[in-house]
Amino acid sequence: MSTRFGLLVLMTLLLGCGPGERKVIVEEEVPGDLMAELGPEKLSSYGFFDGPLRDLRPAKNVHFYAINSPLFSDYAFKARMIRLPEGARMRYHETETFEFPEGTILIKNFYYPADFGKPDGERRLMETRLLVLRDGEWQPLTYIWNEEQTEAILEPAGRTLPVSWTEGKGVVRTIDYSVPNLNQCRGCHLKGDRVMPIGPSARQLNVGSQLDRWNLEGLVDGMPDVPHIPRLANYEDSREPLENRARAWLEINCAHCHRPDGQGKTSGLHLMADVTSPLALGIGKPPVAAGKGSGGRKYSIVPGEPDESILVYRIESTDPGVMMPEMGRRLVHEEGVTLVREWIQSLK
Amino acid sequence: MMNIGRGAIIGCLCLAAAACTSPGPSRNWKSIERSLQTQFIAANDGDTIDLPEGHYMFTRSLTLDGKSNIVIRGKGMDETILSWLNQAEGAQGFQVSNCRNIVLQDFSVEDAKGDNLKVNDTRGITFRRIRSVWTGGPRTENGAYAIYPVLCKQVLMEECIAVGSSDAGIYVGQSDSVIIRNNTAYWNVAGIEAENSRWVEIYGNEAYDNTGGLLIFDLPGLTQYGHTTRAYNNRIHDNNHENFAQEGNIVASIPPGSGVMILATHDVQLYDNEIVDNQTVGVAVVSYELVAAMNEGVEEQPDAIGGAQTVNNRFREDSLYNPYPYEVSIFRNRISNTHWFPSMQNDIGKLLIWYSPFTPPSLLYDGIEDPKRPQRNICFAENGDVRFVNLDAGHDFESLSTDVTPFVCPPEKLNPR
Repeated sequence: MSTRFGLLVLMTLLLGCGPGERKVIVEEEVPGDLMAELGPEKLSSYGFFDGPLRDLRPAKNVHFYAINSPLFSDYAFKARMIRLPEGARMRYHETETFEFPEGTILIKNFYYPADFGKPDGERRLMETRLLVLRDGEWQPLTYIWNEEQTEAILEPAGRTLPVSWTEGKGVVRTIDYSVPNLNQCRGCHLKGDRVMPIGPSARQLNVGSQLDRWNLEGLVDGMPDVPHIPRLANYEDSREPLENRARAWLEINCAHCHRPDGQGKTSGLHLMADVTSPLALGIGKPPVAAGKGSGGRKYSIVPGEPDESILVYRIESTDPGVMMPEMGRRLVHEEGVTLVREWIQSLK
Repeated sequence: MMNIGRGAIIGCLCLAAAACTSPGPSRNWKSIERSLQTQFIAANDGDTIDLPEGHYMFTRSLTLDGKSNIVIRGKGMDETILSWLNQAEGAQGFQVSNCRNIVLQDFSVEDAKGDNLKVNDTRGITFRRIRSVWTGGPRTENGAYAIYPVLCKQVLMEECIAVGSSDAGIYVGQSDSVIIRNNTAYWNVAGIEAENSRWVEIYGNEAYDNTGGLLIFDLPGLTQYGHTTRAYNNRIHDNNHENFAQEGNIVASIPPGSGVMILATHDVQLYDNEIVDNQTVGVAVVSYELVAAMNEGVEEQPDAIGGAQTVNNRFREDSLYNPYPYEVSIFRNRISNTHWFPSMQNDIGKLLIWYSPFTPPSLLYDGIEDPKRPQRNICFAENGDVRFVNLDAGHDFESLSTDVTPFVCPPEKLNPR
C-alpha cells in the first residue's frame, strides 16, 4: 500500500511542474549584413515612385495594373504595379502567367483605408511585396512601411502588425495583420521547384481595356486580338454567372497550390478554373491525407450540400491545422464562403 | 510485485527530474526569432548556422526551405532550447522543406501547436541529439509528432529524445532509406513508429512508458506503401501508458501495454530485442482488418491534431493497399512480462483477459486470412518459452490457439538479411 501511495504522490508532483507562466524577454539581435545579401534595405532606393513615397505615384517604366479576381488577404486593399526594364517587353501566354524580361519587378502594395466606405481616402500602408526577376529566378522580398508612412524597410522574417479600419456604419474592426516571411512567400509561389508569379496571366489581366492599352504602348509581344483572349470572371461582380464567379474565387485562392505542379498536388484536388473533371474538382472525391482537416466529412464537394463538403469546412475555419488556404489569412472571407456555398448548393 | 512497484517509482523519479529540469520556471526567455529566420532565409549552400546557448521563444513556425548542404547546430540539447509555447501562427514549430543534405543537431524543440520538428520533401536529413518535448507531459492537446520526417529520402535519426507526442515520438512516414538508432522515447502514444516507409533500420533505441513502444505500420490512402524494415537490439519496456491520442486517430486503437505492433506491412524482421513488462502484449502482428473492426462506428474525427492519420474505413477502396501483413519474422527476442493482467482500457486487452487470463501473451497474431495470399510466411521462433496467441479474429475467435508450431520459422528466415 505504501508503495502505491508513494507513486501517487510522485505523479502529483509531475503534474505540478508543468510549463506555467513564461516571461518572454525580447532581445532582438539585428541581422546586420545578412540583409544586404537579400536586397536593398529601403523601398525608396528602387525609385518606383515619383513624389512622396506614400502616394505610390508610378515613376517611368512602372505600370499600374488590375486583375479580375484577387486573392483574399484579410480584406487588405492592394495596389499592383510592374516595372519593366527600359525598352523591354512582356510576352503573352494564353494560359500561364506572361513571360517577363530579366530585371522585371512585380510590386504589390498592401494597405487598409481608414474607412472602407472611402477607399480613396486616408490609408495605412502595411507592406510592399516584390517579386524580382534576377538571373532567371524570381526572388520574393517584403518591405514593411514605417509608422510615419515615409519609408518601407526590408523584412525577411515577417512580422505581425495590428491594424484597424472602419467598416460601414462606423464599426471599427481590428486585426493582427501578418506580414509573411520570405519562406512563406515561397510556400505559395512555388510551381514545381521554382518561384513564379501567380496573378499576371492573360485571363486575370483581361480587365476592361487594360491589355489593349498595353498592346498599344508596346509593352507586350505576341498578343492576339482581345476577343481571343481568355478572361477569368470577377467574383465580386454579381452580374456574372454564379459558377464562373465561384470557380474564379477558387482559382485565385486555392489553385496556386491545388494544381498539378503545385504544393497541394498530392491531394488530387485541382481547382484551376478550366478544370472540367468533376473528381479533380473535388466532386465526390474522398480526402487523401486531410487528417483533422476533413472535419469528419466524406467528400471535398457534395453537390447540393455545402454543409457536407470538406472544402466549405476548410475555407470557413480559422484553425491553423484546418484552414485553407493554410496561410495568408487569419479571417474568414465571408463573401467568398457565401459564394462557394451558393455554387455548391446549385450543383446537382 | 513489490519489485515492480519499486522499479516503476524509480522510473518515475527519473522522469520527474527530466520533466522538471526542462521547463523550469527560472528560464530566462529571449527572442532571436527575426535574426534566426533571416539567417535561415539568407543561408548559402554549405553554411553552418550556429544556434547560441540559451532559451528562445518563437511566435511562428521557423522554416528552412529550398536549401542544400546546411548544418544547423546548437550547443547541446540542455543548452539550446527553442520553444513555441507562445505560438500565434502556423502549426509546426521547426520546419524544413524541399531541401537537400541538412543536419540538425544539439538543440531542443518544445511545445509547438502541431508537430514540433517536421521535415518534408527533403533528400538527406540527419537529426542528431535533438530533444523534442511537450513540457506539460502527455496530453491529448499536444501536437502529433515530436520528430517528423515525411516524404524524405536518406534519413538518419540518432541519439534523439522524444517526449509527449499525442501520436508518435520518433516517427518516419512515407520515406525511403531510413536509420533510426540510439534514440529514446517516453510519454508518447507511440514511442517509435515507421509508417509507409521502405528500407528502414531501427536499432539501439529505448522506448518506455509509451502506450505502444515500437510500431511498424502500413496505412491506406497515402502516397506510398511501406516494406522492408529491420528492428534489432532495441529495449522496449514498460510501455503501459494510458492512450491519450485524439479519438479517431489510428494510434488511438493501440492498447496500452503494447511492446511492438506490426501492422499490414511486409518484409519485416524483428530480432534480438529486449521486450519487457509491456503488460498487454509483447509483439503483435495484425492486419488493418482488425483495426477497422475495432473502430467500427468511430467516425473520422474533426479535431485530431496535425497531420495524424485517422482511421480510414474506406481502405478497401484503395486497390494498391494490402491490409494483411506478410513475410514477417520475429525471432531471438528476449520477451518477458511480470504483469498478470493486460490493460483493460482497450478492446484487445479485454479480449485477452477473457481468452488468456493471468498470462497476457508475449506474441500475438490476429490470424485473419488474406483471401489472395494463403501462404504469408509469418513466423515466430527462438523467442524463449513465451505465451503465443493466434486470435483467429476472422472467425470470431472460434479457433483461437496458443500453439506456435505452425508459425515456426524455417532456418533460412533466422538470419538478418
